[in-house]
Amino acid sequence: MYPDKHKEIVTSLMEGKFVTVEDLLFETIKKNEEFYITFFENSFGFELIVNQDFYYLVSNETNENTSRDISIFFSILCYELDKNGKNFLEELNYSEFHIDEILEYFNNSSWTDVIKANKQLNNDESLKRQIGTMVKRNIAVKQSNDRYSFTKAHKLFIDFAKDLIKDNKNESIA
Amino acid sequence: MIKSEPKSILQFMASHYDLLRDLFDIQVKNNIIAKEALNVCIESYDKNIREQLTEYQILVEQNDDFAFNEPYLILFEFIHQQFKPLLPEEIEHFGEAIRTLFLKIKEGINEDKNILLERIEALSSQIKKFTNAVVNNTKSLLSESKDLKANNKKIDYQEKIHKARYLIENYISPLNTILDVNHSQSIYNELLNISQFTNVKRFDYIDESIRREFEKLYHLLRQVVKDLNLQSIILTNELLPLIDRIKTESEYLRGFHFYLTNGNCYKEIQPPKIFVPTRDNIYNRFVYENTKEYFEQFKHEDEIVVVEDSQQTSDWIFDKSKYKESLNKNLPVEDFFKWCESSIKQESESFSFDNFFMVTSLLFEDDYEISVNKVGKKISVSNENSELVMPRLTIKRQEDVSR
Repeated sequence: MYPDKHKEIVTSLMEGKFVTVEDLLFETIKKNEEFYITFFENSFGFELIVNQDFYYLVSNETNENTSRDISIFFSILCYELDKNGKNFLEELNYSEFHIDEILEYFNNSSWTDVIKANKQLNNDESLKRQIGTMVKRNIAVKQSNDRYSFTKAHKLFIDFAKDLIKDNKNESIA
Repeated sequence: MIKSEPKSILQFMASHYDLLRDLFDIQVKNNIIAKEALNVCIESYDKNIREQLTEYQILVEQNDDFAFNEPYLILFEFIHQQFKPLLPEEIEHFGEAIRTLFLKIKEGINEDKNILLERIEALSSQIKKFTNAVVNNTKSLLSESKDLKANNKKIDYQEKIHKARYLIENYISPLNTILDVNHSQSIYNELLNISQFTNVKRFDYIDESIRREFEKLYHLLRQVVKDLNLQSIILTNELLPLIDRIKTESEYLRGFHFYLTNGNCYKEIQPPKIFVPTRDNIYNRFVYENTKEYFEQFKHEDEIVVVEDSQQTSDWIFDKSKYKESLNKNLPVEDFFKWCESSIKQESESFSFDNFFMVTSLLFEDDYEISVNKVGKKISVSNENSELVMPRLTIKRQEDVSR
């Protein structure tokens, strides 16, 4: 009657997790996309957002602070990766980062004002907690030996920043 | 005119290569070598070679400053594979020469043999220069784009984008047009036309020496077309994707820059909506653990051993015949329930309603006639916990009734 792993799918999404293309559940949702869109809409009034790389739920409420912290996190990380000559799009997609490496990027970043103003990013311990929050939402994945990789869910936050330029016509184009 | 032996010049260049390399770098960077810069460089190497540099015409004076003489500059560019990219207009210049010469050859094909020969040679020379220019340009553009991508100079993203856009607009796109096989006006297509023409003429031209020149030109063109095709592949497969990548990244970087600048991220910009997990999940996430825990608490419970009390309690047993005999002796009894109570109490001190009800069962024996004393008040029988309120029953022997 219900698709395989239905309970797991519902639980994950209701916990605020992203189900990404790397995940086995992704295929099940994809095959039953219409069902899940209707299921969440009719059962809870939640919207299932469909993306080619991930699924996630939204409701009328949003966790604005968490989302802002994650957006700032990726903006600074990408900026610093680029400054260090790294291809940040490839790095986020395919690389693993040691926690110390991430902390170093933030400690050496020139965006000090933004970092100081953010309680989730302004010291090593907070940063570690912030990454933990991202792991809970399946935006980051903890690998062995204090290493982390990012799932395709990171795209939501970097594409959001990219689209700000389209939205903001006053921004001077380089 | 250079008086020195060529070998001496080459030996001089080999002996002072490091100094010359520094001067070359200055020239590439500034397009000129300032007099002061030349002096500083010579002093730092502690070599008194200023005279030779001009004597061998490695450097030529430009007002008060200096510059590499063109042939040496080309030599240095070549041996370092470090070419200054040519503007498309400079490359197009070769294209124009090629087009004009080809037109003249076609028009004067039956005219003076000598001028035809010279035009064919000139055309070959222009084609070689054109090919070199394209090959060198692709190399230098690829190297510049890779440098830009790796951001070796750690430049700000805005400058990086500016440079990328500059390279694309002024060098890469025009070079692509020059090499584009689908573009009818491209020099590449012009070379294909020339190749076709020379392929015919190398066989059907009357004069043998001209036929040989066409033959040479044809073979040159075959190689050139192959080389240019390779450059076009490098352009399509490497250079354009690289530049595309820089452009894509730049769009993101501009977004990050805008989001982080002036604390914009803390102002009106709404981040992406994300879900707030609900507390009333239809599936309690801990349901499995909780259930397991509930059952596990019984798993290791100590065995319960029921030890029976060794003290024997004397159970009261209703001896029906004994009570019936006693009742018979006392008949008629005016108040049956009270009689039951007092009979039990005579036998045992512990009066209970259980015993009481067992004794009252005598009522149902066939031998008795029972009547309710309607006038009398109701009677009550009680123990320490409760009280029974009942009617007063008179009980007689059956025979008494009949009498």
